[in-house]
Amino acid sequence: MLCGLTCTECRFHLFGFLTLMSREPWFAVLRPLSSRRQFWLWLLSFALPVVIWSAVSYVPFLWHPVMRVTSPGDVAWFTTGMLIDRHEFAQEAEKIAAAGGRRPEGVRANPIFLPAPHQVARALYTAFTTKPVLRGDVWLHESLWLSIRTIFWGFVVSSAIGVPLGILCGSYAALARLTEPLVDFIRYMPAPAFGALMVAIFGIYQQPKIAIVFIGTFFQQVLVIANTVRKVDPALIEAAQTLGAKRRNLIWRVIVPASLPDLYNDLRILLGWAWTYLIVAEVVGISSGITFFINQQAKYRNFDNVYAAILIIGSIGLLTDQALAFFGERMFAWRNGRPSRLRTFITRLFAGRDVLLFPDQPEGGARS
Amino acid sequence: MNPAGELPDYRTQSPAVAERFRKLKERPVVLEIDRLGRQFAGQKGPVMALRDISLKIHRRELVCVIGPSGCGKSTLIRIIAGLDEQTSGRMLVDGKETSGPCPERGMVFQGYTLFPWLTVKRNVMFGLEMEGVGADQADAEARQWIDLVGLTKFADNYPHELSGGMKQRVAIARALAPNPRVLLMDEPFGALDAQTRATMQAHLLEIWRNVDVTILFITHDLDEAVFLADRIVVLKANPGEVQEIIEVPVPRPRSLAQVNSPEFLATRRRIEELIHPRVTAPTERLPIVRLTQVGDEVE
Amino acid sequence: MNHLHSLLTRRALAWLAVLSLSLGSLSAAPLKIAYSDWPGWTAFAIAAEKGWFKEAGVDVELLWFEYGPSMEAFTAGKVDAVMVTNGDALVTGATGGKNVMILVTDYSNGNDMVVAKPGIKSLKDLKGKKIGVEVGFVDHLLLLNGLKKAGLAESDVTIVPTPTNQAPQVLASGQVDAVAAWQPNSGAALKALPGSKAVYTSADEPGLIYDMVTVTPQSLAQHRADWLKFVKVWDKIVTYLADPKTRADGIKIMAARAGVSAEEYAAFMGGTKLLTLAEGAKAISAKTAGFDSVAGSAKIADGFNVKNEVYKEAQDVPAYIDASLMVEAAK
Repeated sequence: MLCGLTCTECRFHLFGFLTLMSREPWFAVLRPLSSRRQFWLWLLSFALPVVIWSAVSYVPFLWHPVMRVTSPGDVAWFTTGMLIDRHEFAQEAEKIAAAGGRRPEGVRANPIFLPAPHQVARALYTAFTTKPVLRGDVWLHESLWLSIRTIFWGFVVSSAIGVPLGILCGSYAALARLTEPLVDFIRYMPAPAFGALMVAIFGIYQQPKIAIVFIGTFFQQVLVIANTVRKVDPALIEAAQTLGAKRRNLIWRVIVPASLPDLYNDLRILLGWAWTYLIVAEVVGISSGITFFINQQAKYRNFDNVYAAILIIGSIGLLTDQALAFFGERMFAWRNGRPSRLRTFITRLFAGRDVLLFPDQPEGGARS
Repeated sequence: MNPAGELPDYRTQSPAVAERFRKLKERPVVLEIDRLGRQFAGQKGPVMALRDISLKIHRRELVCVIGPSGCGKSTLIRIIAGLDEQTSGRMLVDGKETSGPCPERGMVFQGYTLFPWLTVKRNVMFGLEMEGVGADQADAEARQWIDLVGLTKFADNYPHELSGGMKQRVAIARALAPNPRVLLMDEPFGALDAQTRATMQAHLLEIWRNVDVTILFITHDLDEAVFLADRIVVLKANPGEVQEIIEVPVPRPRSLAQVNSPEFLATRRRIEELIHPRVTAPTERLPIVRLTQVGDEVE
Repeated sequence: MNHLHSLLTRRALAWLAVLSLSLGSLSAAPLKIAYSDWPGWTAFAIAAEKGWFKEAGVDVELLWFEYGPSMEAFTAGKVDAVMVTNGDALVTGATGGKNVMILVTDYSNGNDMVVAKPGIKSLKDLKGKKIGVEVGFVDHLLLLNGLKKAGLAESDVTIVPTPTNQAPQVLASGQVDAVAAWQPNSGAALKALPGSKAVYTSADEPGLIYDMVTVTPQSLAQHRADWLKFVKVWDKIVTYLADPKTRADGIKIMAARAGVSAEEYAAFMGGTKLLTLAEGAKAISAKTAGFDSVAGSAKIADGFNVKNEVYKEAQDVPAYIDASLMVEAAK
């Protein structure tokens, strides 16, 4: 469901991959891609980095700039397991050989900050299955859930204030002039700098973290939403005016529904930004959530755990975004020209009364 | 090119037509425009888009405004609709001076501007809901208007599922639902193909025949103007002024068969003279170098 | 009639008194203590895990922070106590979080290091070179102290401001000739640049950095008895770790608190000298001017802080130390 395909369609693509080699050009400007090719390219976009990563990790002559010492020989300052630059290793080996001692031995390796894919996979598995040792400690998935909740609440509170304010600013130039300069100014202030202040106001538990996410999201949100609202087709507003719509109705019945698909997309993107504040927000107050895990692992140089955690966050973000995009397309079918049943829920919100599910659909574009 | 002698004067009216105009002028004036002017601040000084436009439109009249491009037709209709402000003169509806947009001066735009998130029925109900009409009553009234424009089966479709002509019919129904005094139409059929346009013109006359509404119609299509209108206001450009108000001598009901009738052609020719005074004798020739071979003629 | 009346009233009052007293003790909030990842402080996790605080009859809530945020929380008044170095206790006090140090847990005995690139054998060789250090923090003091001992002044070297958790990368990149950092960053720096060595560590100057538990003056005044119980638990912790039979379990708990494996964590234990109650009581109550007393060490740190404009005014160091609890607990 991730790429908007059903199971049958997916199988269709997978087994039909030979048709990829049809004679149509792959790189034609502005020509749409066949859905089969789209599917394979989508797979490739994820597979390619993994393939490169695996190649660099497992193929010994690709990169591998350091040597891992397996036996130090007579070199005084070598210890087993140490990572040394290849040239230095060679130099030391020559030196000690010239002095008549035993040569050190080592294997080619990658630096500590690039663990191999299987190490990260193992770290992923271990991290989730390790039982918490201390009393009051939580499983990793519980930490993760806490982080998700922090982002969620920060975003929800920000949207609850930011979306209405943005809509009003976009609709009324006077209000925009009043609020936007200040909002724009605060927007540039780095949210982490507010950490101590948030703790002082909100305490040390989840609230200051939610506040930091709020600060990071809110000021961008107001400006982005106001901008989107300003882009509503003025002809629609004029049409509504000639039908007797005035201030409140104009905003609530015309501007908001008209800009809703774009507002939805804006919020999707802003949610992504809110996620980037996760690490910053969770350092404030007591250490909690997945940030604690990441920071401790980074501090102790367990990079396979760090990568695992980053991958988890990335996956969650991607899944959420794709799910929201999927729903968005279904809900705002009037934008894309695709019929849908889900949109009645939204139109019901603004139309105020139920809309009939269309009993019989006409063939698209019936003549008058 | 018609020899001048074969067509009657466009001002001659048959007794039936004259009678119709007499009765029309007895009806109350719904929309009066009194020395309306609109000036813009241009780059090289003020630009007079409209100057001294005066017009009286009676109840249930169908008036067309026509003119060359840049004559200010759209500006005029926008001012009447209340979407723009005049810089001089005034506008009266039913004798009262008025300004600003209002459903009593409903408007149909060239680009349909239907609300894409609402069904056809909800679109038509929009004006009624703005007036505060209850949901059930608005529903019933909207259905009546949808029936009038012949879209009963499509009441629960969305605009993107309709063709251009259907969308315009919805726009007309939507503008008519709040029972406006004047229906303003800004080149509503301009975006349609010729076939659909002809059908829509016939539809419009049908609707106008059955509804108590006065129509002010902007167009650049001469045939359309003569086919639809009782009177035609011909504007000229730079500055936008009324050149002439022509009473169309073609008898009603209008039909496609009349498009070649002498009254029709005479009126048409008159408008043409006013708008394109020199189109009959092109004096300039393009400096074309002959690129085809001798003997390879096309005419 | 009157006699009965007054009897009833007296009994009612007595019951009310009992009720309010018990209610008072029921509603007493736990002591909130902020701690972070340093062996001397992480050790308290052992007491929490084993339930020793409850046994001692004191209600304690240990809250885990990053070091910086722990001090922020304390200054904001959200916790009753925080675990900091003696120098940072002064910084916290000077920036609005007045505090009184009541317990010394350990002194840094090698976990703070100056790590130099290969070829540099001692601090003297650092003359004219670049050193990466977090300015105004404990390892800056460590470095200056070492330089002084080697006969160098701060002006003889170039200080490159470096956050401590970036020290390993900065050293490995070759941009500096040495870095000063605390564990685990110092150990990581040693690993990041093979052949590098620690030319000066806190083991060379024991007492340069004492690690303390410091509390708000209000909390100390209002819950003195509870804090005394708290201090007594420390003894159990040190004993547990000192005993070879239970040490492994203790390290396991501490490693779990820090989120790493026990083997990794055990490596850091050597660089911290945990002080028993007796040793600590001596250090905290001594009033010498050198590093052998908390007071002396704090005074030196105070001078350093003022000079580096960490804060403007010299602090009243004796006011920051309350040795009475440790002395009483050690009896």
